[in-house]
Amino acid sequence: MEWAKSLIKKVEDTRQTRLTAPAPELSADESQALLEKYHPDYSGQTRSLCVGPNAGDDEFFPQELADMLESASILPADFQPTPDIETDVLILGGGGSAASAALALEGSGLTVHLATKLRLGDSNTVMAEGGIQSALGHDDSPRRHFADSFVGGHGANDSGLLKILCESGPNEIQRLTELGCLFDRTEDGRFRLRLGGGASLPRVLACRDYTGLEIMRVLRDAVRLTSVTLLEESPALELLDDGEGNVSGAVLWDRKNNKTVCVSARAVLLATGGAGQLRLQGFGTSNHIGATADGLTLAYRQNCRLVHANSFQYHPSGACYPPALAGRLVTEAIRSLGAQVVNREGRHFVSEMTFRDVLSSAIIREVKEGRGVETPTGSSGVWLDTPLIDIKHGPGALRQQFPGLFHRWEPFGIDPSKLPILIFPTLHYQNGGIRINEFCQTDAPGLWASGEATGGVHGTNRLMGNSLLDVVAFGRRAGEHIRDHLPSRKPITTNNADRFRSELNIKRSNAVKGPLLFPKAMNVNINIGD
Amino acid sequence: MQVDSGITLVHAIWSAGRSEEILTGCDGGVCGACTVSIQLKEKPGKTIIDLACCRLVEEGMTVFPYPVPPVPPVQPSSEPSADTLRKAYPTLDRCTKCDACTTVCPMGIPVMESIKRMQAGALEEVAEDYTTCIHCGQCRAICEDRVQPHTMGMWVRRSLAIKSSAETTVPVDEDASRAEQEWAYLLSGDRKTQLQHCQQFRQTGKVGI
Repeated sequence: MEWAKSLIKKVEDTRQTRLTAPAPELSADESQALLEKYHPDYSGQTRSLCVGPNAGDDEFFPQELADMLESASILPADFQPTPDIETDVLILGGGGSAASAALALEGSGLTVHLATKLRLGDSNTVMAEGGIQSALGHDDSPRRHFADSFVGGHGANDSGLLKILCESGPNEIQRLTELGCLFDRTEDGRFRLRLGGGASLPRVLACRDYTGLEIMRVLRDAVRLTSVTLLEESPALELLDDGEGNVSGAVLWDRKNNKTVCVSARAVLLATGGAGQLRLQGFGTSNHIGATADGLTLAYRQNCRLVHANSFQYHPSGACYPPALAGRLVTEAIRSLGAQVVNREGRHFVSEMTFRDVLSSAIIREVKEGRGVETPTGSSGVWLDTPLIDIKHGPGALRQQFPGLFHRWEPFGIDPSKLPILIFPTLHYQNGGIRINEFCQTDAPGLWASGEATGGVHGTNRLMGNSLLDVVAFGRRAGEHIRDHLPSRKPITTNNADRFRSELNIKRSNAVKGPLLFPKAMNVNINIGD
Repeated sequence: MQVDSGITLVHAIWSAGRSEEILTGCDGGVCGACTVSIQLKEKPGKTIIDLACCRLVEEGMTVFPYPVPPVPPVQPSSEPSADTLRKAYPTLDRCTKCDACTTVCPMGIPVMESIKRMQAGALEEVAEDYTTCIHCGQCRAICEDRVQPHTMGMWVRRSLAIKSSAETTVPVDEDASRAEQEWAYLLSGDRKTQLQHCQQFRQTGKVGI
């Protein structure tokens, strides 16, 4: 960080004054103006759709996502599905939601297959750092949790889904603990609750800055002890239907043997996660490599309507330097403990505990207006004044609570307890997704969806800690509903996919192949054998 | 392989068009998929185990992908102790204290010391040791005595959590009529009214102004 010496001095020089000064708050109108001017969702690099259930709406989608939604099947046009596997329930996805659903189905007597593109656990869940929200604090309630999340989501949330989310918080924490998750506790043995951005009370439970890892490794361990059959390294290429609109299976790509596998299932659950690896507008991402909007792409071909699928969360604190860490997450919990966001001039320009979309917009404004810090590689960001944590909470506090931060930064010779780190918003979360009802049913009978792949519960901006709760609560809910309402077995055809293909041929001749499956940077050759 | 400097091994392998050769999951240091064995130019005899997504490329380094497949876990216990751990994992006492497991851990966990703590029943400390474990499996793969440090670490953590869950119950909702009244307030009216009510309620925790 030798190049930044004089700039860091400005941060150090203003630290003492900033320490006691109140955080600069924005009014609702100022926040809205910031969003409209600087938030990437408003950048105009969008287009409307001309094929499928969201065609003709006055909604505009990021181009990269629109191209996937209107993509052509990877399967050959004359593909004839014959069942290689017959199962009761097929779960697509390998993250927290898929695993929670699998656990909910254990003991039901049903056969369950879980197919995932990577390995079980390789997901955005495992990368979540800051925590999981649940109304467990003094004076807190699921209503307060609801009110915070509804305001944070700009009132665009599906209030029925959000009520379920908030009410399920305490029970889900109880379940996770019974399953084997260790959350941080205070000295008197109670759960330690952190304040999340946009929350009115401390409500975030954590396991240091490895909360998602803790939840995912426990869920995975538990799933491996069930009778669920795992099909790893097997991305779904297409959903299958019975010719009458019911989803009845899926075509997988068994990558180890390079062949397609057709699964006939009485129920299919899409728990395929988000889309950060589409790298909208060239942004970095905090997402795992599988986050390529596969579930949205496949469900859309089955006539499933998408809600707020044009709304993305750019997490305010993505790493901006060193370049090898670009886009990786710096948890919000560090801000919640008092690390301020500071511009090139050493000014604390906005409260770091405002809503994520507002804070990201404020950071982008600073950079666009020349008050950001330009790094030797050309990228720009603002400071996150991490040394404040030890000043406020005692020497060693940063390292004790955020070991992951040190594990990532120290190899580059940066000690975040001594030096501030550079951040810039990173593509973090797909706020919207597939429309579901309160039982996680999609518009297509036979197809359920849960977790980040779905839309509605978070409105157009999600609060910290609500996604880990979402994946466990709705994953389990989907599993339980499937268990109790299992459809009969139906034939498998590519009828819906074929119809979508014909419509594409008429209206969008230049369609790319989809789903993307892997980030472009990986240069994966998708050439499937028989 | 010729690649740009300043990038991680994973990105280097991708950019060379060889992504099939490296198992990758999160590309963020927490999933444990992309473990590799590395030899540096200046120390050719010494093998380093690291995560390809966290390690930068260096001139002249030799890299071999070294993923470790998982093994089936053992059901955790609600009565964790050195004895119940021994029952679950009978190889615990085969450890010869060679310390190879500590050397290969990409997360810097004091693995062998933690095995000693397992043998002594200091399970709270064991749980702390494995807080950052990503279950890449390297400590298990290198152990010639078939000790399974990371799966035992998981067993200890899960078992302790299960035990604690029996001792602390999460408080469940209080006053049902108050809850009902608050929900009615937050959910009534059009979206604009709901938003106003939520804004008001989150500030005071009370219904109405």
